[in-house]
Amino acid sequence: MLYPDTVEAEILVHKPWFVATMFGVVLLLFMAFNMSGTSFAELMRPVIGEPSVSGFYGRFAIAFAIAVIFTLNVVLIGFAPLKFQIGIVWLELLLLFIAFFETFHLSLPFIREKLPFLISQGVVTTLYVSAISIVIASVIAVAGAVAKLSSNGFAYAIASFYTSFFRGLPLLMQVYLIYLGLPQLGFVINAVPAGILALSLCYGAYMTEIFRSGIQSIDRGQWEASRSMGFGFTLTMRRIILPQALPVIIPPTGNQFISMLKDSSLVSVIGVWELMFLARTLGQKTFQHMEMLISAAMIYWMLSICLELIQARIERHYHRSKAR
Amino acid sequence: MTIWNRRLVTMAAAALALGAYPAHAGAVLDRVMAAGTLNVATDANWAPQSFVNASNELDGFDVDVAKAIGKHLGVKVEFITPGWDIITAGHWAGRWDMHAGSMTPTKKRAEIFDFPAVYYYTPAAVAVHKDSKAKTLADLDGKVVGATSTSTFEAYAKKDLTLDAAGAPPFEYKLNPKEVHSYENSTTAFDDLRLGDGVRLDAVVSSLPSILDAEKAGYPIKQVGDPVFYEPLAIAIERGDPELSAKIADAVKAMKADGTLSKLSEKWYGQDYSKTN
Repeated sequence: MLYPDTVEAEILVHKPWFVATMFGVVLLLFMAFNMSGTSFAELMRPVIGEPSVSGFYGRFAIAFAIAVIFTLNVVLIGFAPLKFQIGIVWLELLLLFIAFFETFHLSLPFIREKLPFLISQGVVTTLYVSAISIVIASVIAVAGAVAKLSSNGFAYAIASFYTSFFRGLPLLMQVYLIYLGLPQLGFVINAVPAGILALSLCYGAYMTEIFRSGIQSIDRGQWEASRSMGFGFTLTMRRIILPQALPVIIPPTGNQFISMLKDSSLVSVIGVWELMFLARTLGQKTFQHMEMLISAAMIYWMLSICLELIQARIERHYHRSKAR
Repeated sequence: MTIWNRRLVTMAAAALALGAYPAHAGAVLDRVMAAGTLNVATDANWAPQSFVNASNELDGFDVDVAKAIGKHLGVKVEFITPGWDIITAGHWAGRWDMHAGSMTPTKKRAEIFDFPAVYYYTPAAVAVHKDSKAKTLADLDGKVVGATSTSTFEAYAKKDLTLDAAGAPPFEYKLNPKEVHSYENSTTAFDDLRLGDGVRLDAVVSSLPSILDAEKAGYPIKQVGDPVFYEPLAIAIERGDPELSAKIADAVKAMKADGTLSKLSEKWYGQDYSKTN
């Protein structure tokens, strides 16, 4: 249900037809795979004997056991209250991912040894590059949105050319253009400023469109009412339009921030020692780059989760008026 | 001159020269000597030539050679690690003064760079998966071969290699692949090769040292056939500074004469690659 209501209905995962279908699908799916070489098959050894020679019976038994466990799991979760459901499903998916990473046989001591440098050099660089870029991009976005909405031909033309150009070019290309192109004009900038400039300009263009659509989503009557009260442009924007537009703008902007955090890895091509650069470099000599890549992936994920939480908090703040 | 004045002058000069960056003779050398630091560009992902070591610092053969050259010039050496395509694009604009990253001097590259000195030669070889049935390079006819993008290995696989440096031994194309896949570095190519014989790749062309290194690290690969060519590898600088070029050439010559290069090569490769075999 999109909004919680008081209409009583049986829970979907407890309806017999749904449970039966789920069971059937899982059974067929796992029969399609040969699971006889896995550790789960080892667990089933008392039932099916030597897994590798158990044949069709072995396959069926393994798939049956998995289907029973899976269905039981889903049905039981169905009984739990909402918060528990979310927590348990998160935990289970997380465990599945950990099991997946287990298959790489990562060397944990190596990760532990390199983690401090990965954080002190890599995460710090990634964070400050993205943080500065986010601030600049937001400023550009506000200016760009206002320009795109204005009736001034120059402002509109410049802003629309800007959004079109920077949304239309791959970010990597922009990094190259700014790093290699600007010196042709006599401006030699270093790798970090070049990266920040590229990220800000690219994300500024995307966010311009987000801000513009947010501002446009406010009914025209609000603007007219405000103007008729004698409010000027700035005051109308600040007190009437933006406060109403922000709840619309925040979710896609949060998306942009998360995506920028990871796109900041593109500046590694111009030799900035940020998280992704180190992830690709540190394990190179000893051929342990999978360790570093997965560690970096986890760090990126954790940083994104922080941004997600912040976004959720701000959204809650702006949705007070809609809460019951 | 203030920075702005200088910038205006450079801009005007750049406009006049239609984008050609002006470096008057000796300009780079003067800057290096004045600053007391030689900014060296190198790859951070090219073990054992240059890589990040256990104490998180750049290390390797190229790095040691660059440091030795710095010592000859009497300046400190600092390293910058831009991507290979950024370095080979030219227009360094004073961001770094010298490239010590095993660059092969080719005619095309000589249009952008000066190569003051060849400091060693690497045998290039072909690696296949351990399970491969290929016994000779001829067995790889019509197969899929991987190599680092824009490297000489890729050029060799595509039969587009020019080795015109002084002292480059002659070679012939012994590989007739159906398709050449480009990779960002040799490790990603080895990663595809390790998936199995012919899964994504049948063979990888790379430097013999990196193949041996990967093998030592447990990659299921092996060398097939003899080295396909000996690649001369040189220090590169931007064109237009004969003074710096002469200084670097002197330094490398001295290092060859007093055995420093041989010693460094022994240290990193276990063999003396500073001479052609």
